[in-house]
Amino acid sequence: MRRRAGVGAIQKQRLEQEKYKDKGNEIQENQFEQMTKQLEVFRVNLEEFAAKHKNEIRKNAQFRKQFQDMCASIGVDPLASGKGFWSVLGIGDFYYELAVQIVEVCLATNYKNGGLISLNELRTRLIKARGQGKQHQEISQDDLICAARKLKIFGNGFSVVSVGKGQYMVQSVPGELSMDHTAVIQQVANSSQAYTSISILRDQLNWERDRAQKALGHLLKEGLVWIDLQNPTEKLYYFPSLFTACINSSN
Amino acid sequence: MSEEQYEWPWQYSFPPFFTLQPHAETRARQISVWRNLVLDYFRGTKQYTLDIREASRQSLFCNTAINRKLDTEFILAILSDLQRTQNAAPIDKQRHRWEIYWHTLEEWANMIYNYVSSSGATNSVLTLFELTQGDDVQSEEFCGLDTDVLIKVLRVLENERKCELMLFDDQQGVKFF
Repeated sequence: MRRRAGVGAIQKQRLEQEKYKDKGNEIQENQFEQMTKQLEVFRVNLEEFAAKHKNEIRKNAQFRKQFQDMCASIGVDPLASGKGFWSVLGIGDFYYELAVQIVEVCLATNYKNGGLISLNELRTRLIKARGQGKQHQEISQDDLICAARKLKIFGNGFSVVSVGKGQYMVQSVPGELSMDHTAVIQQVANSSQAYTSISILRDQLNWERDRAQKALGHLLKEGLVWIDLQNPTEKLYYFPSLFTACINSSN
Repeated sequence: MSEEQYEWPWQYSFPPFFTLQPHAETRARQISVWRNLVLDYFRGTKQYTLDIREASRQSLFCNTAINRKLDTEFILAILSDLQRTQNAAPIDKQRHRWEIYWHTLEEWANMIYNYVSSSGATNSVLTLFELTQGDDVQSEEFCGLDTDVLIKVLRVLENERKCELMLFDDQQGVKFF
């Protein structure tokens, strides 16, 4: 005769389940603990690494880039906060210092380029303004982009515009550039001239006349381009920021 | 310095520099560069007067290399701005002919008065020729100063009772106090 399941069996089953659950929790906790430990070890190692190579990170542009990349791939942003252990290393400081210098260069050249400057020119001017020591001179494009992007915190007054072929422009005036405006800058940056026109934009970007007119009008209003009415065929719009003599001038 | 040797700023080869800009801020910057350029050019070439009707032909206002030049309206805008800061003044009613003061009349006046008092020439009479062409002033900034401008400068000093002008047809002199 088969015994029917009694209260005892149910209770026993429940007890087992609870035990499983407890065990499960225990294992989970163990894993969590281990994970935390591992992370802690990792953090300490990273800290040690950074502390040990602090000088190299500050001095060597290539090393700095690799360190940045490494941090980025594991989701750590050494610039995200001035507090915490990163501040001890002064890696953030390096970029804050750069960011301040970027602002200085942008302000100093604003009167002639209207607040648009190529990253190359920015770099040349910034390096000139920095000390003569070797560690002051080795500033890479990546460093500048990294520092300039941090300036976004101050609103839309600062932005880095990619103009293709690894070239960038830094815009330092309030007022966001739309896709169309960026497209115009890209078109001119990739041509061998410093100017564009309605017909050039129609040819190169397949734009309607109105669209070109509107984009150029906006850039003119923002002070980023100058108009030339003495060209025999049509109005030309010049970017001082892309005009070689302007880029190379000392004042 | 001759015109050929003059070192132009980068803007001089920038074609839109010769078109008066519609955007207010850009225009203000543009005018300010032109102001400095005009004063510096006149100083470098030791010129004192400008006739607007002939100005477009001057290399200052016309860059033949890029085929761009200023129109009269533009030149007048620059000169009016210079007039505002007393760096230029029209000398005829039609505002065609202008004097350019790369130092304002007051600055010239101070400069000349300082020179005269430090060289102990007060209370004696100097001819205007001596004052601007004499051997002693060859290294002074006001050497070669245009006579018409000089007289205006001395009038400033006269108003301050620092000198007295004596203008006769054949002899033009000044006595400093």
